[in-house]
Amino acid sequence: MLFEIENLKKIYGNNSVKTPALQGVSFKISSGEFVSIMGPSGSGKSTLMHIMCFLDRPTYGQCKFEDKSIDDFNDDELARVRNKKMGFVFQSYNLLSRTNVFDNVKLPLIYTGFSKEKENELVEQALKSVGIFHRAFHFPNQLSGGEQQKTAIARAIVNHPSVIFADEPTGNLDSKSGQQIMDIFQKLNDQGHTIILVTHEKYTAEMAKRIISLKDGKILSDELVSLRHYAKDGLIK
Amino acid sequence: MKLSNSFQTALVGLKTNKTRSFLTILGIVIGISSVILMMSLGDGAQGLILKQIMSMGPNNVYVEPGSFDLEGADMTQAMMEGMDIKTLTLDDMDAIEKDPLVESVAPMVLNVARVVYKNNDKKVTVFGTSPAYAEITGGRTILGSNFNDFDVQSMAKVAVLGYKINEDFFQNENPIGKTIRIKDVNFKVIGVMEEQGSQMFLNVDDYVYIPITTVQKFLLGINHIQSSAVKIVSQDKIDEAMESIRLILRERHNIYNPEGDLSKDDFKVVSAKESADMMNIVTGILTMLLSSVAAIALLVGGIGIMNIMLVSVVERTREIGLRKAVGARKKDILYQFLIEAIVLTGLGGIIGILLGIVFAYLAAIVLSMALGTQWSFVVSLKSIVLAFGVAAGIGIVFGIYPARKAAELSPIEALRYE
Ligand SMILES: Nc1ncnc2c1ncn2[C@@H]1O[C@H](COP(=O)(O)OP(=O)(O)OP(=O)(O)O)[C@@H](O)[C@H]1O
Ligand SMILES: [Mg+2]
Repeated sequence: MLFEIENLKKIYGNNSVKTPALQGVSFKISSGEFVSIMGPSGSGKSTLMHIMCFLDRPTYGQCKFEDKSIDDFNDDELARVRNKKMGFVFQSYNLLSRTNVFDNVKLPLIYTGFSKEKENELVEQALKSVGIFHRAFHFPNQLSGGEQQKTAIARAIVNHPSVIFADEPTGNLDSKSGQQIMDIFQKLNDQGHTIILVTHEKYTAEMAKRIISLKDGKILSDELVSLRHYAKDGLIK
Repeated sequence: MKLSNSFQTALVGLKTNKTRSFLTILGIVIGISSVILMMSLGDGAQGLILKQIMSMGPNNVYVEPGSFDLEGADMTQAMMEGMDIKTLTLDDMDAIEKDPLVESVAPMVLNVARVVYKNNDKKVTVFGTSPAYAEITGGRTILGSNFNDFDVQSMAKVAVLGYKINEDFFQNENPIGKTIRIKDVNFKVIGVMEEQGSQMFLNVDDYVYIPITTVQKFLLGINHIQSSAVKIVSQDKIDEAMESIRLILRERHNIYNPEGDLSKDDFKVVSAKESADMMNIVTGILTMLLSSVAAIALLVGGIGIMNIMLVSVVERTREIGLRKAVGARKKDILYQFLIEAIVLTGLGGIIGILLGIVFAYLAAIVLSMALGTQWSFVVSLKSIVLAFGVAAGIGIVFGIYPARKAAELSPIEALRYE
């Protein structure tokens, strides 16, 4: 099993004000799945994603990745796992502002230990696959919102991670750009990458194979998508 | 990640944040260069004073009238006081000269008098002494010759001009054989001294030298002397000679002083070295003052560095969060920031040291010109090490400290940092 989430709880705030963001969430995800996590704003989607991709530790409960619990790793080992096996697109891109697109996308690679040539090859590949190669030497403040989002996606996939997390990757895009992005994810999924997509749009969520709905930090429903949308159909139209 | 990678990441980081890098380097440069400059000034002042004292020769001792004032045997002050104290005479000096430890004696009387040549009229320091004075201080004539022992015995009305006095009065004219009037007495110019700069803070190029007996009789009408330079046969005999001179003078002045209590004497015998030691106390205070200025400069520079480092913390914390998220270990982050800090302080350090040395050098030139003396240019290793140490310390501590704190946060906390 790729992910085993068991009774996961996350409570923010340590002393006075406590915000329970997750209140006992359990599910499993196997390799090759394409899962949407849906829910209204503040329902705990981002929080859940951050714990699943080892960026944050839960307050309570289990989060197992490839049968190993997050508690079994120290911080450096978590960094290693994230670097090798996970890619993520943050809700607020988190690009380095004074660094160009190319170097932003390269960032994960400098902690991987590839040769220079290999690094450049991978970056080029990633940039091309999201269609932002022509902006490689622009700086983030010279890009549109969609281009920034694509840059963030290129960074997430540059390492060929087995799991890709994306937090509202189409949130700022027009429907055409959104479809392009979703097409990228569907292709990556076809190539065997596991995709975990956070969104609050029903239509986008239905491009995945399975939808987990959250509300107030609890799972409302967890079901397979019966009528899956394909982004490339939308693009042909 | 390999160390060479950290190095590269750090360099890229520095290039990316040019303004921050520049300001940090500037802070370090200001701190270091001002410390080096200030400490160089302190050392230069000390060197100057020592040289002034030693310019009279390390083999020399001075005999002054008046009792030993333990508070401070300042020679120039003693010379001034000496004008009114009449205890020492030329006969005393003759007696001292007979001591086998004494090589030569140059008694002195200083007097400011009006000197006239044609329509040129100036107040000038007239220095009465014996031929031994030039011998003791190593002063030579560039024109004509010095007066001799016979001139002293015969109270000859002859004058030897200091280098600048000759320039002032005679310009291109040959002064030898010309007559000048000093206090309405006619003197024949027989020589001109070479340029000597200042000695004991006195500008000897502005003096007119005439035989001491002539000054005593014709210009001042006195029998005593104001001071006397005594050259001892060798440096290791100085203490012995000083004691011997004291015994001679006590006997001549009928002072019963078997315990050798200096305050009972009506004269004092001071070595150049003792004077130097006194002066060192003064320059020590000066150096301390300059060092405090330097310390303030260093503090200002340090606060500058601190500010820049701390202001960029928010931005840098997010950067650290992102780097950790995509796979940087704590170690990678620390190396990156350590190398950044080292490169900045290293660069700032080198520039600061060079600039400090250049400033110190320029200051030495300016001061030499302003003071009309050779201000020595000294930059001590101590000042470089101290300045660099403190600036580098501040730079590295404040470069690493925020990074260390940020690296302790979870990536998400760091990314959300505000
Ligand atoms: N660092 C934090 N400190 C305190 N509370 C937090 C923190 N992060 C999130 N929360 C709270 O936890 C809850 C869940 O937040 P989360 O970001 O997971 O929501 P979300 O489902 O991603 O919402 P959105 O769709 O708006 O992105 C919210 O009520 C939020 O206020
Ligand atoms: Mg969110």
